[in-house]
Order: sequence, then structure tokens, then C-alpha cells
Amino acid sequence: MSEPGSPTPPDAAMLDLLIKQLTEDLSPEEQRTLDGMDRAVMSACALDVERAAAAISLAATAGLREFPSQTLRSRIEQDASTLFAESQITALKSFELTPVRPRPRSRASAAGWYAAAACLLLAAFGWLRSSQLSAPPTANMPSTVPSIAPPPSPTPVPPKLAEERAALLALPQAVRLNLNATKDPAAAGVSADAVWDPVTQRGFLRIVGLKPNDPRIEQYQAWIFDASRDQRYPLSAGVFDVGGNSAEVIVPLHADLPVRVAKAFAVTVEAPGGVVVPALHHVVALGAVTTG
Amino acid sequence: MSLLKRIAGGDSAAVRECIDQYGGLVWSLARRLSRTPADAEDATQEIFLALWRNAGRFDEAKGSEKLFVAMLARRRLFDRLRKTRSEPPMDSSTEILESVEWPDPGARSEASIEAEQAKRALQQLRPEHRQVLELGLLHGLTQSEIAARLNMPLGTVKSFMRRGIARVREVMNIEQYAGRADV
Repeated sequence: MSEPGSPTPPDAAMLDLLIKQLTEDLSPEEQRTLDGMDRAVMSACALDVERAAAAISLAATAGLREFPSQTLRSRIEQDASTLFAESQITALKSFELTPVRPRPRSRASAAGWYAAAACLLLAAFGWLRSSQLSAPPTANMPSTVPSIAPPPSPTPVPPKLAEERAALLALPQAVRLNLNATKDPAAAGVSADAVWDPVTQRGFLRIVGLKPNDPRIEQYQAWIFDASRDQRYPLSAGVFDVGGNSAEVIVPLHADLPVRVAKAFAVTVEAPGGVVVPALHHVVALGAVTTG
Repeated sequence: MSLLKRIAGGDSAAVRECIDQYGGLVWSLARRLSRTPADAEDATQEIFLALWRNAGRFDEAKGSEKLFVAMLARRRLFDRLRKTRSEPPMDSSTEILESVEWPDPGARSEASIEAEQAKRALQQLRPEHRQVLELGLLHGLTQSEIAARLNMPLGTVKSFMRRGIARVREVMNIEQYAGRADV
């Protein structure tokens, strides 16, 4: 920006070209002329000219509050929601935290991580063994890796789950949100929403259009991002399957740790039984909680 | 904290506030600089998407948030105009260039300091200078189109635009540096 008394003020020719450039293309000859001018002066002057033009626009539109339609507003809000979701995935992916392919780390921190993971796996394995002893295995029971939370009932949606979800939706403190499908092939045609009660720490994920999975190969896992915790470690909210005839799946959500501030919900594809930390290679749906 | 800073920090609640705050501004710019209402809607959506993506670039030391939004909106709108200029012109009977009423920004609490500065600078210009600025900056006519519409030599159009912009620029810079000196 040029200060008053600057030794090299822009000349009229430069101003003319910069003003024209604001609103239309320069001819090749004009562009060459502009390229040959003092770059330092030109860049400062270009910003000033643009600011002045924007200020004139502001003066002309001051106080105009008209907005076209609720439909357009919804489209704009949806763009923001999608962008926030994608940013979150990108940010999470940058940490590359996956127990399948951990990134190189120092021996001490790796040892600590594996010790923590082993403790969690052992604890969960204990839960699995006791479950298997007390009940016969089902098609939805994790086959190789223990799950973090008990898998909910698969399809068809039991009437009781739909009723419980409806009851939760009616609570004034319930948090409601839509989840957006990602670009993952498994997410094609998926739509989902979630409701979460911060008081009872219960919730439901309703998801439509998710491809049936083979629980021997992979399972779906729900996650809750708690704003009060490290965002690299979302809380598992349940592992679930989608059967061949499932138009709609309702999944009960429950985290083993208290969710203080539910910030976002996600669904990933993970190894059978679920994982402690999401690999995030296959995020199929993600949605942020909006407030206000 | 500014709305854009909040959005850059991931505060999704700020999105609605931002649409409330700047929706009217963006829509009124888009409506003037688009060929049809449908184009204006697409442009408005595109501008807000760019705003979400660039929220982190807002620097309050360089101007108000409203000025940042207006600059970003104008860039997008003129980029779209450049692309459509190669298309056949619209039927002239449907092309309405509303005359700008230049509302008094000083009377509105939500007006930005830059709008007030621009208004003061424009009041010092002759009406024909303001008219050239309106047609170019607010309605997106090229300088040749302005010359033809006003039956004015192209050199005169350039000169009027230069004087108008220079005057606004001068007022903005003088007050900016005067403001810094007061601090």
C-alpha cells in the first residue's frame, strides 16, 4: 500500500491499466506494458485500486439486506457443512494414526502406543471372551479383532430402536445433525443423520443406502469427536453391519468414555470388530454438530 | 473474534451468522453483475463457498471484514463476467441498469468505515464521473461499452474512472494513515 509522500507514485498509465484489469481482460499489448512497469509499485497500487472499487460497491449497497431464497441459503449452508467435513477428514488423515500402518515414530513413543493399544485390546478381548461364553456367536460378532463397543442389532430395523430414536429426538437437549457422504466408493448414495443426548450419553445413527458388508472382512464403525479431547482420538460409538436387505439401518450409539462436547460424528469402514483408533482410509459419512 | 476467523477455526455456528451478515451484500452485488437471477444465485453460492475456503486469509489490519467479503465477491463476479462476455448479448429490452441511489452509509450502524470513506469521496465527484464508475464497477460494463452507452470518447471514460478511483483511494489511505497516527 502506498503511503502519502511515497517517492514513486503510480502514474496515470499504470492506474488506467490496473482499473481496466479489475473489470475486463487487457489486450496482449496492454498486458505487456503492465508487465514492464515497476512491480513493487504496481502490486501495492493494484491492491489499493481493488480496495477502492470494493469500497465503492459497499457504499452503493449499504443497508441492503435482501436475500433471495431459503433454498439458496440451504445450498450455501450445505456447502459449508460439506467443506467442514472434508477439512476434518483431511486434518485427521494428516496425523496418519492407524494401528494397521503406524507412521515411523521414536522407539519410546511407539512402545508407549503399542502398550496402550495392547491394554485396550486385552481388555476388549476379555469382554469378547466373556460374551462368547455367555452367548452363542452370531453373524455380527467380531471374528478376529475385538470390538470397542457391542455391535448393535442389524436389519431389519427393530421397531423398538425406531421408537427409542423418536423418543430421543423429542428431548430438548438432544443434538441432531446430518452426516454427509464422502467421496469414498462405499459412500455412493448414502444419507445419514444422528441424534445424541448429552445427558444420558445415548444416541442413534440412522443411515440409508450403505452397501452391505461381509463382517468376516470388514465392518462399519461409528465415531464421536469430542471437542474436549484430542481430535486424533475420536470415541468409538459402535461397530455395525449392513445386511443385504437393509434399506435403512438404525444404530444405537454409545461411547465407553463420557462425551463432554459432541463435535462431529463419523462412520468408517474398519477391520472386523472395529479398531481403537480409526484408520480413516474409508470414511463413508461425516457430519459436524452445528450450534445456534 | 471476527466471523471469518471463527469460521477458519471451524466454528460452524458462525456460518449462519456470516450468511445473515453478508448475504444481502453478496446478493445485491451478484444481482447487478449477473445476467439472470439464476446466474446470480449460482454466483452467490460460489462466492460463499470461496469465502468459507478463504476465511483464514482475512487480515483485519488490511481492512474491515465487509471490505474483504466485497473484494472476494467482486473478483468472483468479474471472473464470471469475463467468461460470459464471449456469449451472445442478452436482449437489450431485458437488460436493466438500475441507477444507484447511493444510500447514506453514515446513517446505518452496520456500514463499514470504507463505505463511509467511499461515499464521502464520491460526493466530491461530478455526476458524470459517478455515472461512469457505476456502470463499470457496479454493472460490469466494459470501458468500450460505457463509451458507447454514454456517447463519450473512450479516453474520457478512462479518465473519469481513474479520477474516481484515485479520489476514493486517496481518502481511504489518508484516513488510514491518519488513524494510525492517532494511535
